[in-house]
Amino acid sequence: MLRVKPVLLPYITIRGSASITGNNQPLFVVNGQPIDTGGGDSGTGGVNTSNRSIDINPDDIATLSVLKGGAATALYGVRAANGAIIITTKSGKNLTQRKIEFHTSIGVDQISQTPARQKKYAQGNNSTWISGDRRSWGPEISSLEYDGDTSYQWDPNGRLVPKGTGNGNPARYYDPYEFFQNGYQLNNRFSISNGSEQGDYFFSLSNLEQTGVIPNNQYGRTTLRLNASTKISDAITFGANMAYTNSRAVQIQKGSNTSGIMLGLLRTATTFDNSAGYEFPDGTQRNYRNGGGYDNPYWVANNIAYKEDVNRFTGNINLSVQFTDELSLNYNTGIDWYSTKFTDQFKIGSNNLPAGYLKEQMEFQSIFNSDLLLTYRKDISNKLNMSLTLGNNFFSDYNKALFGDASGLEIPDYYQLNNSSANTTQTGTANLRTSAVFADLQLSFDDMIFLGVTGRNDWATTMPQQNKSAFYPSASLGFVFSEIEGLKSDFFSFGKLRASAARTANIAPVYSTSNYFEAANGADGWTGNNDNIAYQFPYQGQTGFFVDDDLGNSDLKHETQDTWEVGADLRFFKSRLGIDFTYFNNTNTDLLMPVPIAASSGFNSVFLNAASMESKGIEISLNASPIKTENFSWEFLANFTQFTNIVTELAEGVDNIFLGGFTTPQVRAVVGEEYRSIFGEDWYRDASGNILINDDPTDSYRDGYPMTNTAQGLVPIGNFNPDWTANMTNTLTYKNLSLSFLIDVKKGGVMYNGTAFAMNFFGVSERTVNREVYYNADGSINFDTTPAENLVVMDGVYGHIGPDGEIISSGVPNVTPVVQDQDWFQGQGSNFGGGPSSAAMEPADWVRLRDLTFAYNLPEIGKGKTIKGGQIYFSGRNLWIDTPYSGIDPETNLGGATNAQGMDYFNSPGTRSYTLGLKLTF
Amino acid sequence: MKKNRNITYKGLALILSVLVFTISCEKWTDSDINIDPDKPANVPMGLILPGIQQSMGYNLVGNNSVRTNNIWMQIFEGVDRQSFTEGRYQLVSSDVNNLWTNMYTEMMINSTIIIDKADDEGLESPHFAGIAQVLLATSLGIGTDLFGDMPFTEAFKGGENILSPVYDGQESLYGSINTLLDQAIGNLNSTNNVIDVSGDVIYDGDLDKWKKAASSIKARHAIQQTKRNGNAAYSAALAAVANGFTSNDDDFLVPFEDQNKNPIFQFMEQRTDIRMGANLIDLLLATDDPRLPFYAEEDADGNYSGSALRSQNSDASFPGPNLAAFDASAKLMTYSELKFIEAEARLGLGQAGAQEAYEAAVAASVLRITGEANTAWLDANINGDPVTLEKLMTQKYIDGAGTNQPYADYRRTGLPSLTLAPDAVVSEIPRRFPYPQGELDYNTQNVPAVTLLTKVWWDQ
Repeated sequence: MLRVKPVLLPYITIRGSASITGNNQPLFVVNGQPIDTGGGDSGTGGVNTSNRSIDINPDDIATLSVLKGGAATALYGVRAANGAIIITTKSGKNLTQRKIEFHTSIGVDQISQTPARQKKYAQGNNSTWISGDRRSWGPEISSLEYDGDTSYQWDPNGRLVPKGTGNGNPARYYDPYEFFQNGYQLNNRFSISNGSEQGDYFFSLSNLEQTGVIPNNQYGRTTLRLNASTKISDAITFGANMAYTNSRAVQIQKGSNTSGIMLGLLRTATTFDNSAGYEFPDGTQRNYRNGGGYDNPYWVANNIAYKEDVNRFTGNINLSVQFTDELSLNYNTGIDWYSTKFTDQFKIGSNNLPAGYLKEQMEFQSIFNSDLLLTYRKDISNKLNMSLTLGNNFFSDYNKALFGDASGLEIPDYYQLNNSSANTTQTGTANLRTSAVFADLQLSFDDMIFLGVTGRNDWATTMPQQNKSAFYPSASLGFVFSEIEGLKSDFFSFGKLRASAARTANIAPVYSTSNYFEAANGADGWTGNNDNIAYQFPYQGQTGFFVDDDLGNSDLKHETQDTWEVGADLRFFKSRLGIDFTYFNNTNTDLLMPVPIAASSGFNSVFLNAASMESKGIEISLNASPIKTENFSWEFLANFTQFTNIVTELAEGVDNIFLGGFTTPQVRAVVGEEYRSIFGEDWYRDASGNILINDDPTDSYRDGYPMTNTAQGLVPIGNFNPDWTANMTNTLTYKNLSLSFLIDVKKGGVMYNGTAFAMNFFGVSERTVNREVYYNADGSINFDTTPAENLVVMDGVYGHIGPDGEIISSGVPNVTPVVQDQDWFQGQGSNFGGGPSSAAMEPADWVRLRDLTFAYNLPEIGKGKTIKGGQIYFSGRNLWIDTPYSGIDPETNLGGATNAQGMDYFNSPGTRSYTLGLKLTF
Repeated sequence: MKKNRNITYKGLALILSVLVFTISCEKWTDSDINIDPDKPANVPMGLILPGIQQSMGYNLVGNNSVRTNNIWMQIFEGVDRQSFTEGRYQLVSSDVNNLWTNMYTEMMINSTIIIDKADDEGLESPHFAGIAQVLLATSLGIGTDLFGDMPFTEAFKGGENILSPVYDGQESLYGSINTLLDQAIGNLNSTNNVIDVSGDVIYDGDLDKWKKAASSIKARHAIQQTKRNGNAAYSAALAAVANGFTSNDDDFLVPFEDQNKNPIFQFMEQRTDIRMGANLIDLLLATDDPRLPFYAEEDADGNYSGSALRSQNSDASFPGPNLAAFDASAKLMTYSELKFIEAEARLGLGQAGAQEAYEAAVAASVLRITGEANTAWLDANINGDPVTLEKLMTQKYIDGAGTNQPYADYRRTGLPSLTLAPDAVVSEIPRRFPYPQGELDYNTQNVPAVTLLTKVWWDQ
């Protein structure tokens, strides 16, 4: 789960989404201290920033557990509405002598699958080679050669000319994917720990250096940790955990952005070699469009950088007092502080920001947390045990950002805010506090029946005064029925039924209860700086403000999540086979969100308790040890999850909520639809849903082809959510050797392959290769000269659009052969030509070998057993993927970790990686 | 025994301290923490005004308005990507969202905020109110000429919980525009002004110029009603012209600068998908018009050329400095437009002075665009050549490149006559813009059902 890479953490949600537009990722708690895990998301262009959960050294983790369901998270309060990931780091407890561990590994990353390109036709238009043309609709590459003109600056071999008229050096296809390189990582980890009656310590040091598959993409992380505890007296234990992390990254531009790596790379004409130089001596850019259009990816990788530098300190102290055998107190308080420095620099000459750009952002983030717990345990009778915990929590989360930018750099390659006359500065603050009191009563009877009841009251600053306080309860019941006399046998070893119900609450984001003015600036969707701001202040030497177009609301209530679940845990054959089954049902009501409203109201959104959602599903896990002998064992672990997440209600007058994506397609929340449905334009269809194939020779549409229905606007065209997911881990151990592999399955869900849809327009996608067609004088296809393999009959029924826009279907299946030629792909066969997004939806199922690890456990070595143990291992990630999706790995998402899943528009490719490691214990 | 009791006391003390903590919960979560320190709750009028003006310049005469309708008017030609598809009149609801949104949430609501603030007791500023009324009327006028019916009487009232405002008919909007401008003139004449105008990047607080602008915008919308009101439209226009602009110095322009560059400049820098249209360039070439080098850049061959209709000729001339220099001002209205209105009104009424007004209009246009009088060219091509409606509208079309007026005039007069794009997706040049996606999505019950061929009120 805590995969540490410059590529991003996958988007994690637990049991569906609890929020519509807000954060749906779980709370991370490390040693009792909630930590910040912001970042990791972006819009459709720019870079994805790193998710801050990567600041943990995975080797420091002793246990990691995932809390699902309201009853489990009730005590974590408003921040755990999306579940919680509870991490405990290592300590020296239970050690009797000093333990030193050393762990080193090296790894290689490579890009995985890439969109297929046609290799037959050259750059140009209408079968003519044109220098700098954005398309590859030129003549066949095999019919061309170079003219050898060295004065032609765009290609060292000269221009392309018909065979026999040049220097005989044949034209060729250049593979743009050669741009990607092997990424390498070197990871060294050291730890020392010890423990005794008096106390214990754990100290670790680690360093990771990583280079990406994109040149100059880098990531590095250095961590330091000291966990120690000491017994002050028999009754009092004092401990402290401290961790320091420095992480640093250089991220590269992606997505819908004329400087996006994949945008320039995939559109590159077939006969243009990006690698033959990206910059001329005068500093101007060499790219396939003779300087304009999109940036050469080499130019981007070398001249545009988004740098992150994070220094983070996390620490907490813990005091526990055992007053009597029955009464104890535990106080835990800590901080999570980090400062982040972002530098975003664009050299002069990009097509995105031609005049150059620099942004500096300094951000300070601070979390404070304090938990006081008083626990009373009492054995009321031999069989009846109780434990009561009373607690109190204070929490604050504070963020301050200062940012300045400079548009239009005067001195090339000098990245200072003073290097421009167009500077803007801005500050941003987010400050919230909560406090809580809670009680937790646990009763157990005869180790057979377990009853738990919790109650918690929260106060939060972000709620309006009258609704500051919220109370929420939970109850859970467990019944270990295998304790019933006579049920246990060699076959049946353990059986437990459980049920729980809980209510949790979530609070509004900061500053959403009132309305403000904000610095005036605006965007038109076409132009602008790196944040798409086209006009801003200062302007004409003055400052300016607009009323904030997001309307606040002083009547907000808490949003609530009511959950219940039932489950069973059954174990057989002396616990060698176990099955765990859970059914859960979450109802989220009064969801807090900015609701988009008609701009004619003067505002773009208003903050409301605006929606309800329901998610329900099942989780099954199976673990088995089919073979267990002295030398050989086989262990098997499988998980299956199936759930639906339906939007059940939206505020009065709100039909849908935009979650992300483009003007078309876009990801929305709509009543009655799965959360995160994708909406886009579709073809004209008849009442039975058949695509209309135009049969009217008098209209402007081509006969034999479908037509985009722009009149009906955006309709649901699928969603990325799986029908179900499953994973299976097999671990085989023979003596000191072990092999384990994890297979991951996602079934169902579709993804927008906007990459291929746009590549069609440029004539570079593989599907444009069957383009050759000849027509007779009357406009019909000449079947004698047109290659037969190019003829296709498009799926649908004959029909056309009547004079008043009405749909007229004949109901007769289309049999007219057509060729998907340049006109088609520059028309409705691509998004640029007006094709509907529905035509670019592709199934995004997968089966993947997510992880494979082969390990050899070292025996004790050396005199006096200097080396007490260790391991040599090899592991691979994503070594094999089977997916019908024709683009990059469908696990990548354009916006990174956002609620708008299922968008592929020149996304950076996924990676597969190989790691070789050595662990030694002294 | 004693020891145990001691511990019990300690336990009690701890329970008490929990209670103390609980009481301090209220203090820890003080509501003042939820006041955003980085955003003001109140702002003086002089800091709101320039934002409205900047947004009007960027959006009303920018990429989502003029770039599109000047492609339709064949002043520009879309040679690639979205500009190319717009050239076959493919313009959908999501394409006009930014324009509509910026009109309502930037220009118009902030204008109404100034008008309200200008009424604060003891801090009255009819002058600020008058300027904001001119800005509101100008925005609404350009908006309704593109969109027809629009929310106005119930608009900008999200704060009063009106989230789905009703639409006012265009005839009613035209009445509101006229009323706003009359009120503006009254306010600008007021002598009871406490807060002086500041932050005005258009006229630097020159109230006389604002009054002229108010009358000039009145004239624009009076003449726009010729199809409905005939001679009454001409007479109303002439009455307003009398108090309107008197020279190019009065032009209603929004400046751009190095830090905030002209929208077409930014488009050509970042997108590059339009060229000059052959229709306009050929008109200019035919008379060796001195405005040519200001409207078009030289092409690669050192000539001025337009891209022929739908030819995707990306070798044609780029837009020239008058339209696309980084600091080329956005023209909300010009003296030359007013003189064309006067000429048309006099011509329509059969009154004397049409010829003089026409010649003055072209002279003002040439002087404004080229910086020189170019008398010889005027004498050879304009002066003394008897004005007809066609010549007048053709010259107004040339003068209005880079504004919304050629499109408004074309729908009203059919002049100059234009060829339909051969790959048009509709049967004639659109009569309007579609309603934006945001209104279709969030104001569904009120937004009128229209197609690109539905005529606005004054076009019927």
